[in-house]
Amino acid sequence: MHISDGVLSSSVIIVGFVITLVLLMITLRCSMKQSDVKEQIPKLSVMAGAFFVASLIHIPVPPTSVHLILNGLMGVVLGVLSYPAIFIGLTLQAVLFQHGGFTTIGINTMNMGIPALLAYGIFKIGYQKGIPLVLIGAISGGLAVFISVIFLAMSLITTGEEFIDIARLIAITHVPIVIIEAIVTGSVVAFLAKVKPELLPIDMER
Amino acid sequence: MRISKTLNFMLLVLVLCTTLMPVASAHRVYLLEQINEVQIKSWYGGGTAMADADVEIYSIKDGQEELYLEGKTDSEGMFYFTPKLGVSKYRAVVSATGHSTDKVIDFAGGMQQEEAELPLAMRIFAGFGYLIGLAGIAMYLAARKLKNEH
Repeated sequence: MHISDGVLSSSVIIVGFVITLVLLMITLRCSMKQSDVKEQIPKLSVMAGAFFVASLIHIPVPPTSVHLILNGLMGVVLGVLSYPAIFIGLTLQAVLFQHGGFTTIGINTMNMGIPALLAYGIFKIGYQKGIPLVLIGAISGGLAVFISVIFLAMSLITTGEEFIDIARLIAITHVPIVIIEAIVTGSVVAFLAKVKPELLPIDMER
Repeated sequence: MRISKTLNFMLLVLVLCTTLMPVASAHRVYLLEQINEVQIKSWYGGGTAMADADVEIYSIKDGQEELYLEGKTDSEGMFYFTPKLGVSKYRAVVSATGHSTDKVIDFAGGMQQEEAELPLAMRIFAGFGYLIGLAGIAMYLAARKLKNEH
């Protein structure tokens, strides 16, 4: 899921950084309006830490190797703050694990962060529609990975790969991740709803 | 009698000359070593071999890099190539679905050692350290803002 240095052309890299910078500003501004950011800091740090180590859980899927991403869970728990959290997590992964690359932090944040924001939206809408929390959590978690796969395939077509070929290859190898993340996100949401529902973007008045 | 003495002397001079300058008359010879095959292996973090990945081998001569050959790794992530005669420095690039890595291979300078890396547990620990540091800075800024408001 993480694109390495030296794969993409410089124009794609610049576009990635510009979009990520803009989205970072929007999401930070947005979260400041929504709630008190300082109350979010511990939650943000814990989630960024989870995201940071999740990529170490590798699952060999021939002919490649895939790993957990957890961007759906980030989106559901952190809301708009998931974008800055993913940015921090990816930077640390690039520095400490040589996972991904420095030049691709922008585009990688985009590929994983935008699906996280979408997962947040899906979760909120699903909750308002009255879908059970476990189910909508699982859907958000699985769908976030799937949307990331589409984004990744779209970034890679700029290198001259055939979209259908590359998208199929990445999608097939990520099927186990979609399933695992759906289960993980669903169970975390169910657990949080029971133990600490104020961590989820749901109103308790209902 | 006199003639043979002169002859003997001249012979001695000749013998001395040849022993004192043995190399000067020889032809200069060259030797070029050749390594038959270079084997490279690449794998993903976690240990899975990079099977069926694209490989590009660049030869480096006088600092000039040029594409030497292209290919694909086998199911074990291995790739073999025969080096060019006289070129001992290569750069191998292996890439698959957005993952890419490269390494310079230099026969003349010996194999480069991978730079020493922190053990994984330490790197995870370092990552959490950074996160706690960032959270601390953010909380400090928030607290200062709060103080200013009062």
